[in-house]
Amino acid sequence: MNASHLMAGSPWQRLARDWRSWAVLIIVAWPAIDLALPTDLRIGALLPNILAFAFLALGIHVVTGATGLLHLGAAAFVAIGAFAFAISTTTAFPFQLGFWPGLGVAIAAGTSAGVLLGLPTTRLRGDYLAIATLGFGEIVVDLLKNLDVITKGTQTLGDLPKPWLGVTLPNIVSTANAWIWWHWLYLAFIAVAVWLLHNLQNSQIGRAWIAVREDELAARAMGIPVARVKLGAFTLGSALCATGGALYACLLGNSSDPTNYDFMLSVMGISMVILGGMGSLTGALVGAMVIGGFNVIILDKMTRWLGETDSMLLSLSNWQYLIFGLMLVLMMRFRPAGVVPERRTARGSR
Amino acid sequence: MTALLEVSELTLCFGGLTAVDAVSFTVEKGSITAVIGPNGAGKTSLFNVITAQYQASAGRILVEGATIERQWGRAETLRAGGFTLLAGLLTALALHCQSLWSAFLHDWNSLTKFAWGTGLTLAWEEFLRTGTWPFAIGAAVAAAACWQHWHSQRRTPDLVHRHGIARTFQNIRLFRRMSCLENILIPRDTRAGYGRLAAALRLPWQRQREAAEISAAMALLELVGLTAAAHLPAGSLPYGAQRHLEIARALSSKPRLLLLDEPAAGMNESESADLMRLIRGIRATGTTILLIEHDMQVVMGISDSIVVLDHGEKIAAGTPAEIRAHPAVIAAYLGETVEGQP
Repeated sequence: MNASHLMAGSPWQRLARDWRSWAVLIIVAWPAIDLALPTDLRIGALLPNILAFAFLALGIHVVTGATGLLHLGAAAFVAIGAFAFAISTTTAFPFQLGFWPGLGVAIAAGTSAGVLLGLPTTRLRGDYLAIATLGFGEIVVDLLKNLDVITKGTQTLGDLPKPWLGVTLPNIVSTANAWIWWHWLYLAFIAVAVWLLHNLQNSQIGRAWIAVREDELAARAMGIPVARVKLGAFTLGSALCATGGALYACLLGNSSDPTNYDFMLSVMGISMVILGGMGSLTGALVGAMVIGGFNVIILDKMTRWLGETDSMLLSLSNWQYLIFGLMLVLMMRFRPAGVVPERRTARGSR
Repeated sequence: MTALLEVSELTLCFGGLTAVDAVSFTVEKGSITAVIGPNGAGKTSLFNVITAQYQASAGRILVEGATIERQWGRAETLRAGGFTLLAGLLTALALHCQSLWSAFLHDWNSLTKFAWGTGLTLAWEEFLRTGTWPFAIGAAVAAAACWQHWHSQRRTPDLVHRHGIARTFQNIRLFRRMSCLENILIPRDTRAGYGRLAAALRLPWQRQREAAEISAAMALLELVGLTAAAHLPAGSLPYGAQRHLEIARALSSKPRLLLLDEPAAGMNESESADLMRLIRGIRATGTTILLIEHDMQVVMGISDSIVVLDHGEKIAAGTPAEIRAHPAVIAAYLGETVEGQP
């Protein structure tokens, strides 16, 4: 429980003793490592994809991990973010905003959708909230699929702008090593989100989230406006998911088929949070890296190594959910609190 | 002088069961009042009504002469009005979004420049043509929801707490996985408000407030002798310490009235003595105390007045000496008198 051994020494010594600083260093410096690897071991170009989905994990972390609201419709907010970004920026429609305004629209859309869904549903208890959010997820996918005048349905809205940082980032697929810039940009987005969340969690707001999760009745009796706190957490989570959606669409260059944002994606997000450690911000990121890495990198590489095959058993994507499920079962059996269990200490008080 | 708490004709029914039956009593400012009675007498129910966990079926609860209820004000009007309008608008937009969208885009294609004026005018006309009924229906539903919500939120536990009535629970309800310090901070936080921007960006005043709150909370932990445990999870403390922490948590928002629900339950004699000293100390700082207790030594030792409940009814009230000699109390505690039975 007591981490006082971590607190000794200068700030630099403390940083060096914390495994998280090394993890961050490796991820930031990954382009250098990646370029040193043989060509078929290189994974850099796949990393921004994982980082975009890390936002899903962050969103679910706030709603489910910290506030304890089981949210089964997070993918819907990813979809809302992706489509809001696509609609406001695509050349198929007259708005044609740039990357940054488009991102703003996506976040605003996610926030409003979060408030709209949260107002009635965050008053529901446990399982009912899960069912309501699950239903919402299905409704959104169906709407996006069928409102094809606006969303182009499964044809997807294409031709989205690349991020603009004084210069426009080159296409990640067609330009060699363009991924490095995408990687750093998306890392910066994650860093900002993590910084904000870290501050929130160590403030009265984060404490209110945890208190509501721990004991809602006591929290209310201690003066916490529970409905407001839940709605706030839910909205923030939705905004984070929508940000991830916008970044994903931008990376892909199109809005992607609405059916890609189905229930499985929500489950994936929840698994990230569970695997990493419910309630732990570091855990959510670790979970996102592990599961995202598995989905995006391992499957991609293994499939390539195994080569094209007709055999059902040798096609890895058929094994994906099996391995995935096994991973969660083992996790629950041997380390139920997650890879990085939550530890709460008030900042600046030691 | 008006009493700090005045309960009059308070009744709480669960279906056919009357848990609290027309109970009236007052708690004077600066006093320690005990509520006693056999198990199931309605003591905790009474606490739950006072703190708005349950809504009273009848009767009034006045705190320094005033009821604690939300008042409808400007902010409520604005919020409800805005919500109603927005809901109507969204319903109208959602029901006809495809035709509105087509009207808005009119004959635009990616080669021509988009005429915003024409698009907006056409969309507006389409909205007027199709949107009236959906708007009315959406707004009506939203207004009804607002109305219902308002009535369910007139009197809530968090509001009562913010009006200076804090409580502990019979079965300890700490935030077990949070540290002791954080447990103490929670009620204080509610006064600071939940300014998201300041908290997210960790602005200077947020940092100052946080530091001030933490030092105040540490002082309170010292009062109950838990300084060393400040950073341990509350759930890891021994039982007696958890009781003390719960009292400290209730105290941390500086309440006018502190409700203690069986604070001495499960404590041995020396722990009870410590607790009595703590409760007297709290009273000395000007906090009025209302407590439920079974331990008669504690009750008789510290209370200024005692209210006795049985089967939801008040059967006696008075000073400890009066209560000790009261026939109805003796009957309730020792069982019904055998008079009239064969």
